[in-house]
Amino acid sequence: MSRKAWIWVLWAAATIGACWMLAAWMLVAGDRRPFLIGETTDAHHQFEIACETCHAAPAFADAAKAEKALNKACRTCHDKELRAADDSHSTKRFRSPRMAAFREKLDARFCTSCHVEHRPEITRASAVSVAMDFCVACHSEGEQDVRKNRPSHAGLGFDTCASSGCHNYHDNRALYEDFLVKHAHAEWLALSPAHALAARQRSRAPAPAPEAALGRDDAAAPTAALGSAATVDDWAGSGHAAAGVNCAACHAPGAPGNASLSGIEPHWTDHPGTAACEDCHRPQARTFVLGRHGMRRHPRIAKPRDPAKELEALGLGDWLPEGLLAALEDPSPPARMAVHEARLPMRAEAAHRLLDCGSCHRPHAVDTAFAAVEACTSCHDDRHTRAYVGSPHHQLWLAELAGEAKPGTGVSCATCHMAKFKRRGLVVTNHNQNDILRPSEKMIRPVCLDCHGLRFALDALADPDLVERNFDGPPTVKVKSIDWAVRRAAAGEPEAGK
Amino acid sequence: MTNRLRKAAAIALGVALATSTAGAAEGGIPYRKAADMLHLVMSAARTVYARMVVQRLTVDEEVITASEHFDDDLALPLPAQMFRFTAEAVSDSSEELSYSLLSLNPINKKNGPGTDAEQQGLEHVADDPDENFYAEEELGGQRYFTAVYADVAVAEACVNCHNYHKDSPRSDFEVGDVMGAVVIRIPMDE
Repeated sequence: MSRKAWIWVLWAAATIGACWMLAAWMLVAGDRRPFLIGETTDAHHQFEIACETCHAAPAFADAAKAEKALNKACRTCHDKELRAADDSHSTKRFRSPRMAAFREKLDARFCTSCHVEHRPEITRASAVSVAMDFCVACHSEGEQDVRKNRPSHAGLGFDTCASSGCHNYHDNRALYEDFLVKHAHAEWLALSPAHALAARQRSRAPAPAPEAALGRDDAAAPTAALGSAATVDDWAGSGHAAAGVNCAACHAPGAPGNASLSGIEPHWTDHPGTAACEDCHRPQARTFVLGRHGMRRHPRIAKPRDPAKELEALGLGDWLPEGLLAALEDPSPPARMAVHEARLPMRAEAAHRLLDCGSCHRPHAVDTAFAAVEACTSCHDDRHTRAYVGSPHHQLWLAELAGEAKPGTGVSCATCHMAKFKRRGLVVTNHNQNDILRPSEKMIRPVCLDCHGLRFALDALADPDLVERNFDGPPTVKVKSIDWAVRRAAAGEPEAGK
Repeated sequence: MTNRLRKAAAIALGVALATSTAGAAEGGIPYRKAADMLHLVMSAARTVYARMVVQRLTVDEEVITASEHFDDDLALPLPAQMFRFTAEAVSDSSEELSYSLLSLNPINKKNGPGTDAEQQGLEHVADDPDENFYAEEELGGQRYFTAVYADVAVAEACVNCHNYHKDSPRSDFEVGDVMGAVVIRIPMDE
């Protein structure tokens, strides 16, 4: 064979080999981040390494199946919040055959019609990638023409529907017309402003079991692990000690309940994981994994691929030798979010921190007041956070901590970002700090309205500069929706001919 | 009433099984008959909810109200809302059947006629409530058997709500009037 022919053979072999390697990398195992076609959105970037979390269809599935699986994956994590939001445009409403004509304009059966991943150049807040005037698809013609039914809307651009504080696509619980009318005349500030659930939680009487309470002399831990006196004092002053929760409950979870010190030692760990917290604080743990602080622990994030199983699925059986299989490995997403990975401005000195329960709750003191403010400000370094210190809300918080104001009157970071809810008669703090931020009008009902009137709350949240300044004065933006709703209600009828 | 409920449930189950496994072309229940039987069940369920739950608790016993904003008002869902919720629940489980409550004078504009068959059907049953309307139509590339049944105001509560709602385009309904129609669609075999 001539030299030229050899070169061709070598070139062909190298090409085929490279293709096989790329295919194996993509379909069997390996770090696939080089294949990312564009930056993922905020939050999703935390698990972008686990492609199958979203791309759940098998390899080589047809486009329809792949899209269906992709959208099902969205619902896996977001379904509960959409149901809680009484979704104004739920996908099920668009399944009806009579919606076929609308689906041709905007197929609202699929999340991906409006939320396309890996397209940062067209993606806005809340991972919305559809054009801002998307409402025009269904509400600009025939009987659905909003301008026909609402003369007040004549001349308004469709790009302003969801950007003026008037409408949201999914969650309109604080924006629907009758609600606006009902709350139209509320003063900007209630006569006795206080967050009802926070007041109930913070004014709760101590647990009625003083015989179970433990003191610093009761701390049961191996001497070498007992730590400093300050650590023991922190624990002795905590709710854990008051409730009779001794060191072993977290540091030696495998030890029998009434084990002696010698029984505890074999099970002792200096650094218990978050599982120790989750055992007792389940509602908090369940919501923690839904937010950006804890989502790396979400149980539905895809596990690393098993190369042997992937080959089996591709019909290649045990084609690869054991040694090569062992060399192939999918990287796992880190178990915890690191501060330096955040896309919001963060303090440089906090960059190394990893997020788990102990990041905000100092593990021995479990001081919720610290967790509600200082824990946040020790990492976050954006204008809104910095402006909180000294703001009217902060002054109220300090007054409550000092005992100069009633429980529930203080406004901490957690008051607004981690709304409390009732569960089986108990007040629980939502540890998904993003739950009422997408969009911010979700905050109105569970938080703002306890102290403020709806009109003031709508205006304040629609004023981006005021939000940045952490509400240090009155809003300068005026949302018109309440006036328009009141006018319609006063007329008692449709604006357009009855 | 209990026997009627049992009978209605048995019919619903039978119809669901029959229509899911065999179309008219294969010797199953004809589309028209299937739609008629489904409507019978829907109508019975709606009447039972209206009378035994809403009427009894809101009017007779006065222990709770019924409200469009039932979540906020801690009230019962209106019968029409209940009907829509069950239709949405069915759509969660199957694409073999869809149904809706529509009107020529809808409070919510999205519940007005949206296809030619709906327009014709609504006008047809408004003129003659005893005469159902049947048609075939193609939507989104699929052929459907569409049946339209008159929806008549059976109580003062229905009439009052529609006459006094600010979004209602008509305010002179009387008990016994046709207020709208139930539209049932069954996908047809190719």
